[in-house]
Amino acid sequence: MFVRRKPWLMLTPALLFLLLPLYGLWSALWNSLTPDGEVTLRVYSALFSNTEFLFSFFYSMWIALISTILSLMIGWLMTRFFLFYLENTGGKLAVWLPMIFPHFVWAYLILLLFREGGVISGFLPGDPAFANDPQGIGIILTYLGKEIPFVILMLLPVYLERNRAYDDLVETLGGSFLSRIKDAEWPFIAPVLIETGLIIFAFTFSAYEVPALVGATFPEMISVFTYDWFYSGDWSERPLAFAAMVSSSAFIGIVAWILLFFMNKKRRNITEGL
Amino acid sequence: MKIYVFWTIFALFVFFPISLLVLQSFTSPGSLTDVSALGWEELFGRRRLLEATGVSIVIGFFVVVCNLAIGLSAGKALALYDFFGKTVVDTLFVMPLLLPLLAITFGLHIAMIRIGLADTAAGVVFIHLVPTIPYSIRIFRNGYVSLGKRMQEQGEVLGASVWRTFLDIELPLLRSSIQSVIFLTFVISLSQYVITAIIGGGSVVTLAMVYFPFLSSANTSLVAAFSLWFALLPLLFYIGAEGLLRLFPYQRKVRR
Repeated sequence: MFVRRKPWLMLTPALLFLLLPLYGLWSALWNSLTPDGEVTLRVYSALFSNTEFLFSFFYSMWIALISTILSLMIGWLMTRFFLFYLENTGGKLAVWLPMIFPHFVWAYLILLLFREGGVISGFLPGDPAFANDPQGIGIILTYLGKEIPFVILMLLPVYLERNRAYDDLVETLGGSFLSRIKDAEWPFIAPVLIETGLIIFAFTFSAYEVPALVGATFPEMISVFTYDWFYSGDWSERPLAFAAMVSSSAFIGIVAWILLFFMNKKRRNITEGL
Repeated sequence: MKIYVFWTIFALFVFFPISLLVLQSFTSPGSLTDVSALGWEELFGRRRLLEATGVSIVIGFFVVVCNLAIGLSAGKALALYDFFGKTVVDTLFVMPLLLPLLAITFGLHIAMIRIGLADTAAGVVFIHLVPTIPYSIRIFRNGYVSLGKRMQEQGEVLGASVWRTFLDIELPLLRSSIQSVIFLTFVISLSQYVITAIIGGGSVVTLAMVYFPFLSSANTSLVAAFSLWFALLPLLFYIGAEGLLRLFPYQRKVRR
């Protein structure tokens, strides 16, 4: 009995920590449902009939999706093709270097390089500004700079510890380069890739710092939009801020659930040999 | 051939932007050729910056200590034991990274006002745990997986207490995991602007709180120096932590 109880004892501090995010989310939900002390969906109906909010929501979704897919693809390609150099100290340092700068410092760099008359955009014909632009290129560039190294660091251990005999197996059986990726690599990296993608998507969808610095005044990312509600003069718009963030959480939750469901199904298929 | 491609990518997308910051911090604003150390001088001439650096280090220190304690014990449980509900617990520990930090912070802010943690450094430490703990648990879990059970069993067989086993076997062998956690946690804590602003309510002034209003400043040399300070600080903290780790007795006794 004692042996059985031990892991739970060791998990207790971490489970207590989980109360912070869980309570935070619960409290946000409760406050969005009870704007005047009684349970009502009034705030949500106001929220979803607010076209500015809806626009900002879809804009955030779009920017987060582009940032996530590009980060995953470039990060995966770099890990795959430069594995040999990434194992060395020099290569590792190269990947870690961007990690030590906060997101907002990287955003400032993008500002310095790509704003109107910036170090790079100033030299381009027509002086196009890629920062504070409505297309969100500045935001995406900032996230790429920070998230590609993150993807590499998440994938690196998988590639290093993967059973490389599968590569030989595919080769012996006459498989092509593509079938090597599909059969000998994908099953190993898919779970990590999906999890990393989810983390990046959730983060880029709802983070405040980067869009606050390199985003446009219109359209605004959901976080900047919501933050303004939270800190608007009187507290009348606070329930809206809570509801907007609860809706974002629900959206990310659904996306995560679908992806994890498919991942587990796939994992079962692999282990059960289907 | 490949190696040139790798380093060219690095030079273009990492080295070039960072060296631009370094260059700008040592030249006068808007010019990249006119050498001047005014950016750095002005930076360290501001009392607010030095105070904020102190506040950031103290908050970062407590966040790191909590991360080490929670991460080590949870990581060990997840790596070395099988128990009912493990997959659920596993998923739960990723969840804080998937929820919008603003949603959690908005909600916790109300609770913290009620129990008197709002506008305090302790409240800020608590909220900084949310984006850091999941990573620490994962790093220590991987560390314990590669460490395995055998080493600890050996200690146990030889009659060592749990504490002794931890100090003499786990701590030295998990060193690289500990280093990663210290570094990563401190960097993440230093990078939090909006959640610090909400929970700290303007009375807990960390470096990020000073940096943000600076960004609209025309004095690009000063902002460049400030930006580099954000990268230098984790390195200094890391060196300090490394010094502390060396104080453990077994680190000195190793002689060959």
